[in-house]
Amino acid sequence: MTTMHSPALEVAARPRRRWPKPTLLIGLALLLLLLVAALFPRALAPFSPTDFDYEALLKGPSAKHPFGTDNFGRDVLSRVIYATRVDLQIAVFTTLFPFIFGTLLGALTGYLGRWSDALVGRVADLVVVFPFLVLVIAIVAVLGPGLTNMYIAVSAVGWVSYWRLTRGEVMNQKKAEYAQAGRVLGYSPSRILLRHLLPNAVTPAIVYLMTDMSLGILLGASLGYLGLGAQPPTAEWGVMVADGKNFMATAWWISTFPGLALTLAGVTFSLIGDGLADALRPRT
Amino acid sequence: MNVKRLSRIALSLAAALTVGQAFAATRGGQMTFGRYADSLFLDPVLNDANLDIWILTNLYDTLLQPTNDGKGVQMGLASSYTTGKDGKSMVLTLRAGLKFADGSALNASDVKWSLDRARNPEAGAWNSSLASINSIAVSGNKVTLNLKRPDPTLPAALATFNAAIMPQKLFTAAPGKNDAEKAKAFAEKPIGSGPFVLSEWKRGSYMVMKRNPYYWKKGDDGKALPYLDSVRFEIIPDDNTRILKLQAGELQIAEFIPLSRVAELKADSRLNMTLFPSTKVSSILMNNRPKLNDGSENPLSDVNVRQALNYASNKDALIQVVTYGNGKPMKSYMSSTTPLFDAKQPGFPYDLAKAKALMAASKYKNGFDVTVLATSGSADDLALLTALQQMWGAVGVRLKIEQLDAATKTARYRANDFQMRTAAWTNDINDPSQITSYYTLFDNIESVHTGFKSAEVDKLFAQSQQELNLARRTAQYQQIQSIYLKAAPIVYLYETPYPVAMSKKVKGFFQIPLGNNLFASAYLDK
Amino acid sequence: MHASYVIRRLLQIIPTFLAVMLVVFLLVRLLPGDPASAILGDRATAEIVERTNRELGLDRPLPIQFGVFVRNLLQGDLGDSISLKIPVLRLIGERLPTTLFLTAYAAVLGVLMAVPLAVLAAVRRNTWVDAVIRAVFQVGLSLPVFYVALQLLSLLGARLGWFPIGGYGEGFGGHLYHLFLPALTLGLNLAAILVRTLRNSIIEVLTAEYVDFARAKGLRSRVIMTRHVLRNALIATVTLLGLNIGALIGGAVITETVFAIPGVGRLMVDAIFGRDYPVIQGLTLTFALIVSLVFLITDLIHARLDPRAELS
Repeated sequence: MTTMHSPALEVAARPRRRWPKPTLLIGLALLLLLLVAALFPRALAPFSPTDFDYEALLKGPSAKHPFGTDNFGRDVLSRVIYATRVDLQIAVFTTLFPFIFGTLLGALTGYLGRWSDALVGRVADLVVVFPFLVLVIAIVAVLGPGLTNMYIAVSAVGWVSYWRLTRGEVMNQKKAEYAQAGRVLGYSPSRILLRHLLPNAVTPAIVYLMTDMSLGILLGASLGYLGLGAQPPTAEWGVMVADGKNFMATAWWISTFPGLALTLAGVTFSLIGDGLADALRPRT
Repeated sequence: MNVKRLSRIALSLAAALTVGQAFAATRGGQMTFGRYADSLFLDPVLNDANLDIWILTNLYDTLLQPTNDGKGVQMGLASSYTTGKDGKSMVLTLRAGLKFADGSALNASDVKWSLDRARNPEAGAWNSSLASINSIAVSGNKVTLNLKRPDPTLPAALATFNAAIMPQKLFTAAPGKNDAEKAKAFAEKPIGSGPFVLSEWKRGSYMVMKRNPYYWKKGDDGKALPYLDSVRFEIIPDDNTRILKLQAGELQIAEFIPLSRVAELKADSRLNMTLFPSTKVSSILMNNRPKLNDGSENPLSDVNVRQALNYASNKDALIQVVTYGNGKPMKSYMSSTTPLFDAKQPGFPYDLAKAKALMAASKYKNGFDVTVLATSGSADDLALLTALQQMWGAVGVRLKIEQLDAATKTARYRANDFQMRTAAWTNDINDPSQITSYYTLFDNIESVHTGFKSAEVDKLFAQSQQELNLARRTAQYQQIQSIYLKAAPIVYLYETPYPVAMSKKVKGFFQIPLGNNLFASAYLDK
Repeated sequence: MHASYVIRRLLQIIPTFLAVMLVVFLLVRLLPGDPASAILGDRATAEIVERTNRELGLDRPLPIQFGVFVRNLLQGDLGDSISLKIPVLRLIGERLPTTLFLTAYAAVLGVLMAVPLAVLAAVRRNTWVDAVIRAVFQVGLSLPVFYVALQLLSLLGARLGWFPIGGYGEGFGGHLYHLFLPALTLGLNLAAILVRTLRNSIIEVLTAEYVDFARAKGLRSRVIMTRHVLRNALIATVTLLGLNIGALIGGAVITETVFAIPGVGRLMVDAIFGRDYPVIQGLTLTFALIVSLVFLITDLIHARLDPRAELS
């Protein structure tokens, strides 16, 4: 699927130059906005996200419904707000396991090298050359569609990127002076790995995590197009865009507003990613 | 409001039906038709899907043909037929000078060979429609079918795609060790007896059918049909793309227009948005068994509950939300376009009070949870079930939607491992016996896997299958429909037409209620 | 040194390939629903399903089925499609060139868009030019592919009539013309990733010490640009392309559906939903082979371009 970009080198070339601080601040401010919507949808949304109104099917934006209504007469604004929680959940859960597992495994095999590295490398090869779509549909078909199974499918594949990034970084850091010094000082390998190498090597993975979060949400949309995403009546931006595609000519607002929300989330994560890349530059 | 809508549909249908005859036909040209998916296997006997069935009769003609309104049968390759006094034989007379698309003669022996192949119980999924045939004899241009029992469905069966006449010589000359292998080879470049012949097929992309110069039927101008030089099918899976291509003039016809866009396309002055009457009925199949597969108790085994769900379903609202006003409530398990449909069937008009009373009379006064299987990615299923979730909530039934891809859904269904599922049906044959045997007979597939079983229905059906008297057969079918309605093994929803958008230039094209697309008398107006 | 490296890498593909074979074979059989049910649909009786499964040899024990699969594969036979009833190899031969053409086209368009804009954004970093370029691609990257596809189609295809709506066209020119919008859709996606990374890597080069040194030596900025900046951009581009080629081929699925292109992406989706085991197996193996080879080729190109890179 398009949204599964192998990332490895996307962030490998980190900026060496300090970026203006506002990047991270704006990103965090937008994230705060999303979090407020996710935590207090009831306070913000004028209507229930699931209540039908047969008297107001496919109505354009108005004072009562600023984002219009969909084909069930549901208020699009309310659905966009309620969907925030679901989409932030998708962003977190599609990336959490791959990040933790991939990063730790990457640190370990990067440090140990040799056979452990070669073994994981072969498994990673298998995952990467295997068509992602076959895997996702297979997992979703076996376990049933829905967000949880989507998380499982993505996690089965997603760890490879983090593994690659961290492994490469640890291999480089291993040669760095402070690691050599640690060895000379007689620190235990686990101390060198966890206290010194990992914290320095994790930066690219964290930065990539931000990109990966918006890719996760987009994957939800693609699966929605194939009918394998969030289940009704749950409001989710990607599925809302997919469901609205038959109305693009007659009721543009159904797909446009959740589309804008997707973009907003994408921009948020990307700004934070750029900001973090700057803030977390390795201490060398 | 309903009546008005119905009369509007009826008017547009009447217009569609008469358009072909109103003007002198123009000959020549290519008609480009946008399909949502490609055909799979063009063998009349061994195919399995509507993707094949709905275009097959353009390539292979049958002895008899369904009429364009879907209500009756007209002559095809046979010019006449007679039924024996005891009803246990049928003699068909073939037209003189019939030819296959390669110019070779179509003889009675081809007919015998084709029907023998089609009724072989070891071949294909359709042979049961010809099961009453005991043996076939030919002499000259006469074909005699000797029957095991009188069979009122036989004329309709002989007008159905699987009874198509194929060239024995060419088929048996095809490479391959057995019938199945020969069929594979032959179906890639089939030569048949229909108005068109396949000339080019790039799978998944396009298919071109050329005019068969040897076709027997005459057009309004007295010359042989078809009018068109060729028909080109373009495969365009995305609904939006298909419509855009039609509007851009790159297609003349686009099938399967989403019902949500019918009104918009009706307003397009360049297009003829046509709703062809269909035999399509949409319902929710319920598992009626006392226990589910996992051993748990099944609330849907209570007839009060099943009726309550039927009454609690607001058909008019569903028709608005799901079909955008382009459907009508189902009154019987069969569509109103099916022969012997009983117009007096009441169906289940929306009545929330009655539904609540029925629930109160059941063991489940406080409601229950129930899961319905839906086809993932189906916008219609989603719209329908999201609406039903709300409607049934009013009688305390909490509906959970489980979306599955079609193959998984079929597997669960076949194993009776479901509580409810969405389902749609179209007839393949112009007779009520097909849908009735599937929906009401346990011995077929457990009454569409609902588990419904009625000795009375079994008896009535067995009688109706050899009842040649139309009045008596009609009465039998009335009873079957009434018994089924009372038992409510399914949730009756709605009937929907086939939505086809055409350029205003397209005339004489038909999609009959069975779904077959007929191009024989189609033409492009200058 | 290169030859032995290439041979070692090719040998490494073999175990991966064998693993893919086994995994896909088991995975398709783990899917609920069998091919017979899938092709016969809801109406089939138990007997017909059973008969069909027998005819397809799917009633035999798994090890025997796997043995048949491997034996046939060694003879270059991927079996017949269950639903289309023609050889899988022929099917792939008909459809794969379309997808490869689309992928290559998208890659070219993506690079043509990304490289100049990334250089521009990097040179004018932190100005409004930079901001606009990054914002446009960020929006492109944040929207679902099918949405972008449909918007391009209705705007450039239907409303303006500049491009045909869907299809593959005839001949090289026809393909270029018909596939422009789908390639643009995929290319935009790729360009969004490229721009983000290239911009950063170019900034890194521009601010690196050796560039300062070169400038101090009095080298003209055009020379610096071509010798250092573009060379590095090229290296990063090739690497990124290689890494994303799998996603690009895989991503063709939705694009092919929206634009009605008869490629392998759509074939794969149809095969999965139709439980067409031989087609899924054949396509998965083909995909694995292509992606492995692309990885190898990009590594070789990378080595040729970047003298610092070591082939290990």
